[in-house]
Amino acid sequence: MSNAPHILVIDDEPQIQRAIRTILTEKGFKVTTASRGGEGLTLAAANEPNIVILDLGLPDMDGVEVCMRLREWTQCPIIILSVRDSERDKVAALDKGADDYLTKPFGIEELLARVRVALRHSASRHGSQNKVIHAGALTIDLAWHSVKRGDEEIKLTATEYKLLAYLASNHGRVLTHQSILTHVWDPADANHTEYLRVYMRQLRKKLEADPERPQFILTEPGIGYRFIAEE
Amino acid sequence: MWRQPSHKGIINSRMTKPSSFISRPSQYLFAFGLITLATAILFALREALDTTLVALLYLIPLGLITAYWGLGPGITSALATFLTLNYFFIKPYYTFAVHRPTDVVILVIFLVVAIVISQLVGRMQASLAAATARELEATWLYELSTALANLHEDHAIAQIVAKQVHEVSQGEAVELNISGTRPFAFCLPGKYSPKRPPEWIVPIEVARGVLGEIRLWRAAPAITSSEKRLLQTFASQGALALERARLAQAESRARVLEESDHLKSILLSSVSHELRTPLSTIKAAASSLRSNEVGWDSAARPELIAAIDDEADHLNMLVGNLLDMSRIESGALKPKREWNILSEIIGSVMARMKHLAGEHRIEVDVPESLPLIPVDYVQMEQVFTNLVSNSVKYAPEKSVIRMCAFLENDAVHVVVRNQGPQVPREHLERIFDKFFRITAADRVTGTGLGLSICKGIIEAHGGRLWAENVPDGLAFNFTIPLAWEGIPPPDLPMEPETE
Repeated sequence: MSNAPHILVIDDEPQIQRAIRTILTEKGFKVTTASRGGEGLTLAAANEPNIVILDLGLPDMDGVEVCMRLREWTQCPIIILSVRDSERDKVAALDKGADDYLTKPFGIEELLARVRVALRHSASRHGSQNKVIHAGALTIDLAWHSVKRGDEEIKLTATEYKLLAYLASNHGRVLTHQSILTHVWDPADANHTEYLRVYMRQLRKKLEADPERPQFILTEPGIGYRFIAEE
Repeated sequence: MWRQPSHKGIINSRMTKPSSFISRPSQYLFAFGLITLATAILFALREALDTTLVALLYLIPLGLITAYWGLGPGITSALATFLTLNYFFIKPYYTFAVHRPTDVVILVIFLVVAIVISQLVGRMQASLAAATARELEATWLYELSTALANLHEDHAIAQIVAKQVHEVSQGEAVELNISGTRPFAFCLPGKYSPKRPPEWIVPIEVARGVLGEIRLWRAAPAITSSEKRLLQTFASQGALALERARLAQAESRARVLEESDHLKSILLSSVSHELRTPLSTIKAAASSLRSNEVGWDSAARPELIAAIDDEADHLNMLVGNLLDMSRIESGALKPKREWNILSEIIGSVMARMKHLAGEHRIEVDVPESLPLIPVDYVQMEQVFTNLVSNSVKYAPEKSVIRMCAFLENDAVHVVVRNQGPQVPREHLERIFDKFFRITAADRVTGTGLGLSICKGIIEAHGGRLWAENVPDGLAFNFTIPLAWEGIPPPDLPMEPETE
């Protein structure tokens, strides 16, 4: 399986390394492991992996820094692993170029789902992006700027559409408050999470069957939002 | 010279006399004026008065002069009157010659009596002034020590000492420098001390070293030795107060440490029990799966796997609670506040707790019109999770857990109500204490920390959390103030739908 996607795992805990390696190898990935940031950077440069799974708490350097150093030369997806209650670090890493995160302890389905999303995004970065996104009964056509539930057109305001388009074109990925505010509003509004909260509520009211228990636009507490669509 | 307004000024001008023997020239001038006046009056009555009587009458102004203006003018006046007595009143007039032996006796006796009176009155005055000065010093010291008595804070002590030094010395500026781990300076009357070096510096010293110093700027009049002595006394009073404050702080730190030590040992015993329960389940399930005791297609297999998964989650929650508690204890729990929508928070908690709620029915009633609330999203999720899981734990299955929120004055009031057993009135407060349980620890799982974490979080948000018994169960109530740093919730205008 020489074409198997290559995953680099940078984590200093041998048990985590072992568990991730076992499962990912079983799923047909090629796995390399590193227990230090410096070693990870060297391996990344040598092997050019398709995905990097990076622990934020490394003994020799800050995970956020590893993230920044990787982003200097590669766009390969980075999935952050971190413990609970380090929302600030997670957001910092995501804003510095990481693609997604997983909180330890995590279920293996979650890890595999993140890996799949990351691979899809790195593929779409090179090839053509899917212009029509399906989520449940929803159809979002990014080329025609139309949103439909079944055959029925859903009317959105300009900002609501911009917001939905940004979420949907990154479906499966977590988007931080800051990145959404910067993209949909303006970099100057990056701290106005209240805009986001209010528009998100409007959007959910129009899209979700039960806006209080959303199926498509999920809240990532303290981090941002994630849009769930069909692969 | 001490310049003091009010009554203190008079006392002060007297107080400095014993130390400075020289009186001001004006006092001599007044003394001579009085002597001249007395001489003029006596001169007019010269023919009617006997020389002896004149000499006696002269003693009156002399006594007054010494009493009012001190020993110097007194003695000088005595010598002057001796001469005028001889010149104007003893025959032959207008010469200093004396013919009659009785006049010689009168003159000599007059001189002796005048000087003795001056000396006696002067000494009395001096000791009175000294006594007054001592009394005043004592008053100032008393004032200072009373003011310092109940202070336990360095800044407050420095402020009082600087104020007293400034008031008493009437200097241009007084600066109090406190060294140590957190050095600071306190300056009066302005914020900044003059650029030139101070006229005088008094160290604030205790047995184990110098705590700081008092700097005094007063170019004129120069600082006298008695003032220096007094300022030194102030400095040592200040030093004692600072030392006492430091000891008190050290003691309270020690007490806090002792308390937290005690808590930690309770925590350890509670935690080791709590952590072992899920660990035992995981260990039992995992080892039986590893052994050949459970066949590949046995019905027990998925159940064992589910047990491992659930108990690992439970373990994770316990560890999370412990971390939260230690953060609350150490004051590190700082909410990362943002304007949030309450129903969104409750919604995501509900989604997460779907499988934990089991047979309980959860009803949510949060009006759409509720304004945004300034809270930490993750911490508020934690509050709802803990309140709901507490209700799930104690309320009977198939009962209803009701959540509602409404505006109340300038706050949002949230109620989480269950149909569980009521809590005895005396325990309503205590259920928020760490490790407090009404039921025996082994009957219900958990760390006994959930509710106290909620309380810690709500209080960090400036709100209040309490429990009350309601007719069919127990209700948790909490409030969250709407204003955040004085700013009310933002109101965002919505744009029209264009497409």
